[in-house]
Amino acid sequence: MHTRVTLNIVLLILLSSFARAEWRFEGETGMVYNSNLSNSDRSADVRDDWAWSSDVGASNALQLTRDLRLNFGADLRGERWDRFGAFNTIGPGATAGLRYRFGLGRQAPWVLLEDRFGYDRFQDTAQSGYDNVFNFQAGIALSDRIALEGGYAFESFVAPNDFYDRQLHRVNANIVFDVTSSLQFTAGYIYREGDVISYAVPPRPDIARFSIEREDEDEFGQPLRTAYKLLGRTNAISVSAAYQLTKYASLQIGYEYAVTVHDPLQYENHIVSANIAVAY
Amino acid sequence: MRLSRGFVLFTTSLFAGDLLAGSLEVIVKDDKGRSVSDAVAYVAAGGAASAAPKKQAVVDQRDKQFVPYVMAVQVGTAVSFPNSDNIRHHVYSFSPAKKFELPLYSGVPAEPVVFDKVGFITLGCNIHDWMIAYIAVLPTPYFQVTRQDGRAVLKDLPAGQHTVRVWHPALKGQPEGFAQQVVAGSGTKSLMFTLPLKQDVRAKRAPGLTSGGYR
Repeated sequence: MHTRVTLNIVLLILLSSFARAEWRFEGETGMVYNSNLSNSDRSADVRDDWAWSSDVGASNALQLTRDLRLNFGADLRGERWDRFGAFNTIGPGATAGLRYRFGLGRQAPWVLLEDRFGYDRFQDTAQSGYDNVFNFQAGIALSDRIALEGGYAFESFVAPNDFYDRQLHRVNANIVFDVTSSLQFTAGYIYREGDVISYAVPPRPDIARFSIEREDEDEFGQPLRTAYKLLGRTNAISVSAAYQLTKYASLQIGYEYAVTVHDPLQYENHIVSANIAVAY
Repeated sequence: MRLSRGFVLFTTSLFAGDLLAGSLEVIVKDDKGRSVSDAVAYVAAGGAASAAPKKQAVVDQRDKQFVPYVMAVQVGTAVSFPNSDNIRHHVYSFSPAKKFELPLYSGVPAEPVVFDKVGFITLGCNIHDWMIAYIAVLPTPYFQVTRQDGRAVLKDLPAGQHTVRVWHPALKGQPEGFAQQVVAGSGTKSLMFTLPLKQDVRAKRAPGLTSGGYR
């Protein structure tokens, strides 16, 4: 009896909270270019490509107390590559996060604990699987124009084909600069450590010697390549800009330069993106 | 006889006031010659203190924005902050002239906020970081906020010399540094102010590179 009453009270609180909840709808579409989609170290093996990338979602911001907010939402993401369709992907995801702000206003320091769980269906179905990203971020404004953000994330991907299982630790730090009321710049540093998959035309005994696993794959056509799963360390720097087009839309461009190493293997990626993002 | 003498005295003072009162048009431009809206033009001193403040003013919240963006009130005015959105807002001010907080609410708060100290107040919403507005709390009833064309008209100024100042949320410096003297009388006079303004870096509502107000 006591349990039933408690459950009813919790249900009532949740219902009243949902009634006060604030929905937000977001969408993003644009292109992304990867200078080394194959993560190859030898120039003859490098394959670049660009993709249309889209993401639509709905989320909810539920202010639990003055300082604590519960965010949860769902989204659908997709990428369609121009030449290497095996990497085309689409998949839904769900996100839940708690943000705590130490005081009032946009300049107050904040911390965010967030988790996104999703499914990525690849055109090459062997790659399909479930991904989970646990994210801890924190931020503080140094002035009304400059803010610092940083955090740690743990990413894991689980596929029926174990070869594509991956785990990754990521640490990032960004500086955000509001140039004008319409223009925002960020510059950041990212360190990643974890599983990467590098493609190379065999034979590559130098990589095979320290790879965790390897498989012959045809994602990049002929000649057939071997995909090596390695434990890599990536150092990346990024810059990005957002320009507000309307009250609800902005144009976002970004560039990331990443170097991944696992001696003696080393490869580079230049990633360029341009998107239109809307939020209502 | 006594009654008619009183009536004559009353009408004489009324007409005298009308004859002496004047209007002042204030034109505000930035240092690039562009018209400046949302600037508050006001008389810094001069026979204003005795006037009673307007009973109540309103800063509404509509479509996740404060309306108006800039408002001027006389010191002592009670301002209510109705929430016309169907979501909750959380209004606050850190400004020394009035620190207050209206925690998460819908509809109209029970009590308005009385602005009992002269100063410039910055309002924010703790839920929607791009929501920002300003209230200029002034010791005078003679003020006006400039329109899109950068113009404001101060009406019914008592005859005599007045110090006129202009304030804007992005003003570099203090309004005292941009004061001008004017002698009010019958008719309309005009004053031009050129203000140096800081870059507008209000938080954006459109998606930014961080999660912004929804973080």
